[in-house]
Parts: sequence; structure tokens; C-alpha cells
Amino acid sequence: MSAEENPAAEPAPVIDVQGDGRWMSQHNRFVQECKDAEPDVLFVGDSMVQLMQQYEVWRELFSPLHALNFGIGGDTTCNVLWRLQNGELENIRPRVVVLWVGTNNHEHTADQVAGGILAIAQLVMTHLPKSKIIVLGLLPRGEFPNPLREKNAAVNNLLRASLPRLGPVQFIDMGGSFVHSDGTISSRDMFDFLHLTASAYRTLSTTLHEMLLQMWEETPQERRASLV
Amino acid sequence: MSEDSNPAATPTPCQDIQGDGRWMSLHNRFVSDSKGKEPDVVFVGDSLVQLLHEFEVWRKLFSPLHALNFGVGGDATQHVLWRLMNGELDHISPKVVVLWVGTNNHGHTPEQICGGIMAIINVVHQKLPHTHTLVLGLLPRGKSPNPLRERNASVNALVQAEVVSLSHVSFLDMDPGFIHSDGSIVHQDMYDYLNLTPQAYQRVCQPLHERIKSLLDKHDP
Repeated sequence: MSAEENPAAEPAPVIDVQGDGRWMSQHNRFVQECKDAEPDVLFVGDSMVQLMQQYEVWRELFSPLHALNFGIGGDTTCNVLWRLQNGELENIRPRVVVLWVGTNNHEHTADQVAGGILAIAQLVMTHLPKSKIIVLGLLPRGEFPNPLREKNAAVNNLLRASLPRLGPVQFIDMGGSFVHSDGTISSRDMFDFLHLTASAYRTLSTTLHEMLLQMWEETPQERRASLV
Repeated sequence: MSEDSNPAATPTPCQDIQGDGRWMSLHNRFVSDSKGKEPDVVFVGDSLVQLLHEFEVWRKLFSPLHALNFGVGGDATQHVLWRLMNGELDHISPKVVVLWVGTNNHGHTPEQICGGIMAIINVVHQKLPHTHTLVLGLLPRGKSPNPLRERNASVNALVQAEVVSLSHVSFLDMDPGFIHSDGSIVHQDMYDYLNLTPQAYQRVCQPLHERIKSLLDKHDP
């Protein structure tokens, strides 16, 4: 599906309707961080990425790996695509890019969302040919089974099938750990049935951190990140 | 301003446009909390309230006061009004209700937003005549000076004037000085230039904690 056919793969900034220009302020800050910092890991995505940096687990597990966080709440694949095409991949050479976006693509079908995520992965590979990529699966959401869970699961299935063909891309789906046998999600894991609590981030981060350390072992580099 | 002509003071539930019913799930959980628990303090509002619950500061400062958190991200005054009129204040008799809402009232004038906050105060007083309502001032937002900062400051001035004569209500300015001399707000305080980082929460919650404790002491001398 080409960008002309797939609206989820069309780069688009967020228009400032509220009046305080916060989205552009955050984007500009990330572009500046690319000029100032030398990250080994770059996290990109929506609020699932953004919130992670506010919890202790970020400082414990990811700061030591020289990670930068370019998450913006509310972002769709279109917004992330625009940001990465407009400076957020300049001047940096991360070993790994962690991509987590898609749950906010409300106007798009599962096929389109998966296509949007693939387009972002392809953009990263073109711009940073030496970087590896980890794509995080979309988590289930809502207290009870609902159409968005099905849609996110469908996106994940499509990604699972198509990502490996792109190249050095890994896919992690942690959704299973959050749905109980009765189909419910607990507010102890997702305080608003979408965003993760500190303890849920810890569960997810442990797996992600292990995968990053594995990639460190596999990547021949003159400089090794300090281990926790 | 009557409720009919003020959208910010017209109780309105959030429509489930996205399809996962999260807003109603949260409301239902709060209603059920009210049936089962006996809080001394109830926090009500938007994401600034809701996110507070997820950081250490809640456990350290507010859990010991037997507080419940009824914050919902994105809520404007009309949503909070609906929630409080539809079960979230039933079966409980807290000594203090802490109200922090208004920054998401996009498209409303400061007068309308103040009207919405006053409508909430009135509902709390009707349902809980012995409860004190502590209204928190809206924070500035955005990296640089912008119309929403002016709007929020106007709301605060209007609300302060309205509540000064009410014995069951008080107002607390929550801004410890987030705006720097060059007019900017830094991401170390507001990671998205709206929501607070854990360290910013520490700063604003100290005076808040003191004020709540003194209100609790006054309630039961």
C-alpha cells in the first residue's frame, strides 16, 4: 500500500487548535536534542512512549543506555512520520530505534495502521541504515473486550507477518500480560484502561531492556553502554 | 449566567467516540469506590488530578489522609459536573473535596469556565453540606506566552472573587513560579508543557498538603 493510497502513511503535523502550540514546542525540543545529544537508543511514538520517561523505570533501565524519548501524547503514525522527516532523525546515530505508535489512529483501518507503522520503519532504515529497530505491538485497551482491542490485535498480526521481511526489525507483543482470564484489564495495570501504571511499565520494560542488551552484544561497537 | 446558556455548566457525559468505553468505565469505578470506601478527602478533576495518583507523591502525602482520586484526563467542567451529579459523591461524606478542572474547557470564555467551576461547587455543597471545597488555581501552560495562559489566569481571578464570600469554599493558587523570567515553561516541570513531571508535582503538592491538613484539622478540632 503506497503512501498515496494509505492515509496512515501520509506525514502530517498536528495543527494547533488549542492555542498554546505545545506539539510544535515538543517537536522543536526533540530536533534540538538531536543536535546536542548522542543517543544509543531512540524511543519514538505516542503517550505510551512519552509517559514512560516520567516513571522511575526510565532512569533505572534506559537512561544508562543513553536513551532519548521522542514520544508525544495523541500522536498517530502520520504525526510520527512527519516528525521523523522533519529533523528528529538528524545528527544522531542510535544503535536501536524503538517504535511504539498506532493506538491513536482512530480514522484508519487495521491494514492502514500497520502500513503506517511499516512506512515509519522503512523511513528509519533509509535514514539510519546501521540502526536496528524494535517495534512494540499495540496493547489492548478498554476495561472490557471492545472493537479497539480487535483492531489493535489485527494490526499486531499484520506487523508480525510483514516486519521481519524489512530487515533488522524485531517485534515485541506484550499485550497478553494485561488481559485477565475474564477479559478485563485492571486499573492496576492501566490506570485509565489505556495508559500503563508504574508497575505495568516495569513488566514491559524488563523484556524490552533484555532485548536491548542482547542487541548490544550483537552489535560490534567501539563503545559499550554501561550495564545497570 | 444560567446553566442553560453556559455549556461549561451544563452537565455532559463524555461520548464514547473511540469505541472502548473508557470514560464510563472510570466513572463507574469511582461510583463503586464511593459505595465501598470512606474517604476523608476526594480529589476531582482532569489529568492533573489523575496523573497525580500514579506518582510516589500520592502515596507519601495523600494516601495517609485517606484520599480518593476521581481524576479523568481530558475532562472539562461540564464532564466533572455530570460525574458528580451521577453517583460519584453518593454514599460518602468526605471532609474536603479538592477540585482541579478548567484547563480543558476549549472554546469557552473565562466567564463560562468560572461558571462551570461554580456549578460544581454548588453541586458539592448541595450533596455534602458539611464538606469544604478547595478549588485549585489553573496552571499556566505552553512553552511560551499564549492566549491560554491569559485565559487560565482570568479564570483564576474570577473564581477567587466568587468564592471569597463563601465559608465552605477556599481557593489555592498552585503555581510555584513555573514561568521563567523569559516567559518560558521548561519541560523539566511540564514534560508536554501542560502535565506535570513528578518533580513538579512534589513542588506544588507541599503547600497543597499543608492546606488540606489544616482544613481537616479545622473540620475536627
